[in-house]
Amino acid sequence: MTYLADNIITHQNILGVTREQSARWAQKLDLPRQAETTFFAGCGYQYSAQLERLMSLARGVDKSVIGAELPMRFARFQKKLGLNLPGIYSNVLSLNILPGREEVKPLEAAIKVLRNLGIQPGYLAEDEPCCGAPLNHAGLQTKFANNARKAYRTLKSFGVKQVIGIVPYCTHAVSKLFPLHIDGYDLEVKHFLEVVDEKIPSYKLRYPRKVRVTYHDPCQLVRYLSLVEEPRRILKAIEGIELVEPEWTHGEWATCCGGGGGFETVFPELSQVLAVNRASELLETGADIIVTHCPGCIMQLKEGLRELKIEGVEVLDLSQVVATAMET
Amino acid sequence: MKKTSDFKNYKKEIMVAAHDDHLRLALSRAIKSFRSNVKNALDKFPHTVGMAEDVLKIKEAAIPRMEELARQAVAAIEENNGKGYIARTADEALGIIAGLTGSNKLVVKGKTMTGEEIGLREYLEEKGNEVYETDLGEFIIQKMGSRPMHILSPSIHVPREDVARLFSKVMGQEIAPDSKIADMVAAAREYLRDKFFRADVGISGANVVAAETGTLFIIENEGNIRLATSAPPVHIALVGMEKLVPTLSDAYKVSEVTWRYANYAIPSYVSLVSGPSKTGDIEKETTYGAHGPREFHVIFLDGGRTRLAKYPRLAQALYCLRCGACLYECPVFAVTAGHFGDKYFTGIGAVWAAIVNQDMEKAASIAYTCLTCGRCRQRCPMKIDVPEMIIELRKLLAEGDSSNAGN
Repeated sequence: MTYLADNIITHQNILGVTREQSARWAQKLDLPRQAETTFFAGCGYQYSAQLERLMSLARGVDKSVIGAELPMRFARFQKKLGLNLPGIYSNVLSLNILPGREEVKPLEAAIKVLRNLGIQPGYLAEDEPCCGAPLNHAGLQTKFANNARKAYRTLKSFGVKQVIGIVPYCTHAVSKLFPLHIDGYDLEVKHFLEVVDEKIPSYKLRYPRKVRVTYHDPCQLVRYLSLVEEPRRILKAIEGIELVEPEWTHGEWATCCGGGGGFETVFPELSQVLAVNRASELLETGADIIVTHCPGCIMQLKEGLRELKIEGVEVLDLSQVVATAMET
Repeated sequence: MKKTSDFKNYKKEIMVAAHDDHLRLALSRAIKSFRSNVKNALDKFPHTVGMAEDVLKIKEAAIPRMEELARQAVAAIEENNGKGYIARTADEALGIIAGLTGSNKLVVKGKTMTGEEIGLREYLEEKGNEVYETDLGEFIIQKMGSRPMHILSPSIHVPREDVARLFSKVMGQEIAPDSKIADMVAAAREYLRDKFFRADVGISGANVVAAETGTLFIIENEGNIRLATSAPPVHIALVGMEKLVPTLSDAYKVSEVTWRYANYAIPSYVSLVSGPSKTGDIEKETTYGAHGPREFHVIFLDGGRTRLAKYPRLAQALYCLRCGACLYECPVFAVTAGHFGDKYFTGIGAVWAAIVNQDMEKAASIAYTCLTCGRCRQRCPMKIDVPEMIIELRKLLAEGDSSNAGN
């Protein structure tokens, strides 16, 4: 995780990939850089393929050598986790992020949805700063605060006034944590869900086939940003979708997928157990599609279904579902 | 190297627990019935939610005044002809209790988490006393040589078949693995019955204490605490200082909110104890030790609580009523039970480990096991922000303690 921290600070993303590489998904979309409203893509979706590879490797390591030590200080803690991080990273970094790849589809879909709703957001591409949320999460607040100030200056330098966030962690950081460290913070931050929820009542939406859909609330959206009804209103507005929910564990009571902001890197094997648990809860609804709205949750829930050997149940991002419902 | 093995063992321990289907089944049943019970209790008594808000205000005001309230309570208890003590440290508390108990005594105990915190039973046993846990769950745990896995239901992880096997061994009478639970309960009752009446000392905790009158409020369902604190000639209570509130009416509110969030519409017993047993029925001359204990001793334990109260973001851990509701909402607890924790469990347990017990190693293990998913906060009647505390604790671990609170 110190590795992650260094990457955030020097490369402005959690995996130390070059920004050009990560921004490639948006090449064909022709999004302007200078715009008052910017789409904040964040690291989660752009790097989820790499993270997924990283996690499966980490799980392997976790099972073979339960060799981690717990020092008082974070740096020691991370170093001695027993993961050969540089090795794993060089391995995963050989992946490329190209338009049309599975994991960036939610981003492409989100842009499409926003445009259909009459919003023309900009995108900073390789100039987009990293929100640094994992720094805060790991307890490195001083580094987080420095990074936040730097990120804020970058956003301002491109004339940004409004930010539309999509990754839950990033959106929470930019909307709730940045103001704690920046005097006179004046960016208006909205989550994609809020923007869509405001505009959607006047649009006709139809899913191409009749489906039973359950919604998994990401912790950060539901318990940190209080976005409870928004995703449900959006899903219910789509013809052909029947929303089915687990008995207790929905909305504010939704169970964490086990991703828990960095948890999976410290306890990969336990994280997998939790992913299976959450996937099982969602499957009890008899849904054909599990919809969620967080790259971490998507990764975990897919992992859960894989472990349970469930086929025929899709895990989709809410932005993809809305984009599909706009096509028909 | 010791430090290596601590985290290694911890991680191994929680993974073994996470792969234990037995445990998982016991927990998933418990969680299911807990959720439905708590919903019923709150539906039936909806005023509880507003009352919890009052209680939060009471706690916010009381925690910074803990020491003053403790002194007030000690004075009140002594006025009632009991004895009050303030123990700065766990060792001091153990010393006081061991001094009062002596050795070669028979001791019956009600469940006290504060007792668990300082290792009271083990200490009294070392001093040559015979100590019986009388709460059924705690009794099971004691006889298994295990440790509690939940603050209210310590044996939450033990299925009935294991209890039958254990009781057969302990009581020397065969209890079939397919016996009814009622038969197991009857066996424990039978076994413990005479211990209450032969005991020299009864020990309890308290859920909340009213400082103005020195009154302990003790919530229970089994009736073991009533026996343990009434039958023996001496009653010793060990109470964490954070349990003090100013008035009787404050204490009542704390009690009601505690039991309701602990999933009870109404518990069978709430005992209010303010002093030793007394009578004035013969010529109005007050005589102590009628049917109840002749001696009543209350030890208020600081043991790091005043230190914790000085940390701005962490002090809220002291608002905890120990209703145990959060545990049922923790996704990690659902697969590991109390293995995810120290003296106290789950994320909030990290704060207690770090500041109260000053075991940073243990605290770090727990702090990095917390998902910070926040569902505990959603359930907590005191709205204790565990994720906020965990991030703050990680900051202390990662960047060091820059406050002066630790000194």
